[in-house]
Amino acid sequence: MERHERMPETPTVETLVKAWRAGAVPRREFLRRAALLGIGAAAANTLLEREAPAQTTQKRELVVGQGGDISKFDPHYSTSANDIRVSFNTFDNLVSRHPDGKLYPGLATEWKSTAPTTWQFKIRQGVRWHNGDPFSSADAKFSLERTWDPALKTRVNTVFTTIDRVEAPDPATVLIHTKQPDPLLPARLAFYGGQIVPKKYIEAVGSDAFNAKPVGTGPVRFVSWTKDDKVVMEANPDYWGGRIDVDRVIFRSIPENAARVAALLKGEIDVMVLLTPDHFDRVNQHPTTRAVGVLYAGLYVLAVNSKVPPLNTPLVKQAMSLAVDREAIVKELWRGRGIAPNGPIARGDNHYDTTLSPLAFNPKEARERLKKAGYKGEPIYIETTSGYMANDKPMSEAIAAMWKDVGLNAVVEVLEYSVRAQKNRERTFKGVWWSDPTSTLGDPDGMMWRLLSPGGPQDYWRHPEFDELGQAARFSLDEKFRGEAYKKMTRVFLEHFPWIPVIQSYEDYGLQKYVEFTPNPNQQFEIRRFNSRMRRA
Amino acid sequence: MRAGFGGFLAYRLFRALIALWLVSTVVFVVMRLSGDPAPLLLPPDAPIAEMNRVRRELGLDRPLPVQYAVYLGNVVRGDFGRSIHFREPAMRVAFAYLPATFELGLTAFVIAALVAFPVGVFSAVRRNSLLDHAAMGFALVGQSAPTFFIGILFILILSLRLDLFPTSGRGEWRHLVLPALTLGAFAMASIARITRSAVLEVQRADYIRTARAKGVGEFVVVAKHTLKNAALPILTITGLQFGTLLGGAVVTETVFAWPGMGRLAIQSIYNRDYPVVQSTVFIAAALFIVINLVLDALYGVLDPRAREKAA
Repeated sequence: MERHERMPETPTVETLVKAWRAGAVPRREFLRRAALLGIGAAAANTLLEREAPAQTTQKRELVVGQGGDISKFDPHYSTSANDIRVSFNTFDNLVSRHPDGKLYPGLATEWKSTAPTTWQFKIRQGVRWHNGDPFSSADAKFSLERTWDPALKTRVNTVFTTIDRVEAPDPATVLIHTKQPDPLLPARLAFYGGQIVPKKYIEAVGSDAFNAKPVGTGPVRFVSWTKDDKVVMEANPDYWGGRIDVDRVIFRSIPENAARVAALLKGEIDVMVLLTPDHFDRVNQHPTTRAVGVLYAGLYVLAVNSKVPPLNTPLVKQAMSLAVDREAIVKELWRGRGIAPNGPIARGDNHYDTTLSPLAFNPKEARERLKKAGYKGEPIYIETTSGYMANDKPMSEAIAAMWKDVGLNAVVEVLEYSVRAQKNRERTFKGVWWSDPTSTLGDPDGMMWRLLSPGGPQDYWRHPEFDELGQAARFSLDEKFRGEAYKKMTRVFLEHFPWIPVIQSYEDYGLQKYVEFTPNPNQQFEIRRFNSRMRRA
Repeated sequence: MRAGFGGFLAYRLFRALIALWLVSTVVFVVMRLSGDPAPLLLPPDAPIAEMNRVRRELGLDRPLPVQYAVYLGNVVRGDFGRSIHFREPAMRVAFAYLPATFELGLTAFVIAALVAFPVGVFSAVRRNSLLDHAAMGFALVGQSAPTFFIGILFILILSLRLDLFPTSGRGEWRHLVLPALTLGAFAMASIARITRSAVLEVQRADYIRTARAKGVGEFVVVAKHTLKNAALPILTITGLQFGTLLGGAVVTETVFAWPGMGRLAIQSIYNRDYPVVQSTVFIAAALFIVINLVLDALYGVLDPRAREKAA
């Protein structure tokens, strides 16, 4: 610290900075020479920041490069990541989750629970649809009911299963009655399925025409779509949250990772989603671009089929967890772009326990627990995809090696993605497999309980106490009770390991330096006044 | 002789139809064997009942032979079903991608042919010269380096470093250069090599020796006597390459984010969008077959022996 303060006085540093200013020393050389002078990388970078003024632009359009094209505009017919990046900007939800992970007013200005099973939402007044129609509570009622209408066969019909019925007693009020008390209803409304669509327009033109020419209330409105090439949207000048800082937003589809990075470095795109750890430094050290990351609202876990021996023995699973060197995985495979989890709850979620330390790495203890469990070398299958999830296969191989070190007989088997989807559906995984659950509600209920509950997609293990607490926490409006319940559930979890949590990674984005953008942790890509801006000269 | 040629074409047409039927059957079987689209359409936590509903809706709950019969009946009527992913008629989806594919495929083909023919002929005529070795060395690289690698190399050098062309996407002519070069590289190499060996082959023939013996100039020997006789194998390989360029641009289109049919096909396979996969494969197969038919007809024109054999 002391050295940092003294730094500008050192003559040698000054010469170096002068050389940099004159353009005589490239950035990398500057950093190298700075290191020779005993200046840390962080300090040297700060120096550079001070010397190189933030870049500015005259651009009026924002080009977003993503890994694939969208399939639909209708937000109720798709949940794919590429689609919701567009639909969360074309449409608004009643409730909005901001980059800080908290809930803010969206198309609803305020909400409260008026009875154990009733939520009341005050609807924002004066909002207009992109086609000029006024927005009202009838649209909200229509949208929610549309999601579960059996005749419409939407892809989000399971999002609001806790809702019993919706009322719109007047244009400014929506009442939602739930079947049981639902503490997370506002959070549910903030994610996919909760986008509000125009009643009058859809009833007039039908769903297919709506999908071809969507009308929303969001900050951008539809201009054109060239399949597998680009989606062009323009700023909604009357947006209730304030007109965004650009005239147009273009979503380009560039499937190849290296090509997407090249497009960013060359300035053809302004924002690149899904920046992988191996390109992070390159983007961050390039003179015109930088990388920003946000801790993913979710975990990468090895889910466990706890029904098959030896995985039905808690001691064996404890040993498996103890044998995994998470620090090494974060450092070597993720280039530091992640943290080791401390249990089943993602950091940043409600009820994340800050007092727990990261899951321990202790091979000696692992060997002892295996001995105590009477493990006899039964094979433990790691069923992995290759390239479907970031680092899936490299992590599988690393973990298999770590497990072999403590005497576990790990076998890696590679699955094609559709085979994985099938096994997932039929619940026929043989041992452990990768899962990267997203915390859709910013709460353990939307992640751990959504997946591990009885009848859930990863129902391979049951424990009476865990089940009872999970069920009670889902329907309790008492946050203190819920917090206690998740603490106890974590304790049970860390004895039985229905998942072996491995890493909570960063979601990284590549940006032009003139773009200011704060990403959202749960992949909800939103361009709004509060999180994005262009630096203009 | 006219009737003979007509009969020859009718026979080829019949074979083309059989080929189309076989192609559609293989696509049907492979797609059904490889997995179920239902889990990909729904959120990961969708209940089983939901999966079953979607499967029923798509007709996937019926026995395979019934599905096949329904499918063939529709194909005959030109109906490839609705895209599961886009909720539009599958053929219409696929056809919308054809212009981009043609643009890229034709450009790549023209570049490849324009470079490959002269280089091949020149290499043969001046065989073992420095230029011959250099050209054939390049051809070897072009034929053996993976398209993916060439594409990324072009982006890094010609686009990022030298700033000559955009990195990806479709737009003005500058967008077309790198993908067309990448896609054309393989065809260029193989056409050049075939041209060279076909010309060499013919140059060893007796009638060439005769021509030279009676004092015909070297230019006429090559241009008139050699090229005409070397045309058949060159035509064959060129035609096949043309088909490949139109139907097989999957990797190039992916690397350069080119919105063509190859990318649609690969994307649809990932999405298990059967109707679209079937449509794209059908179109690609039909293109190939049409090109082959045209080639056969051209053989007939170029080489009377082919006509006689058929008759």
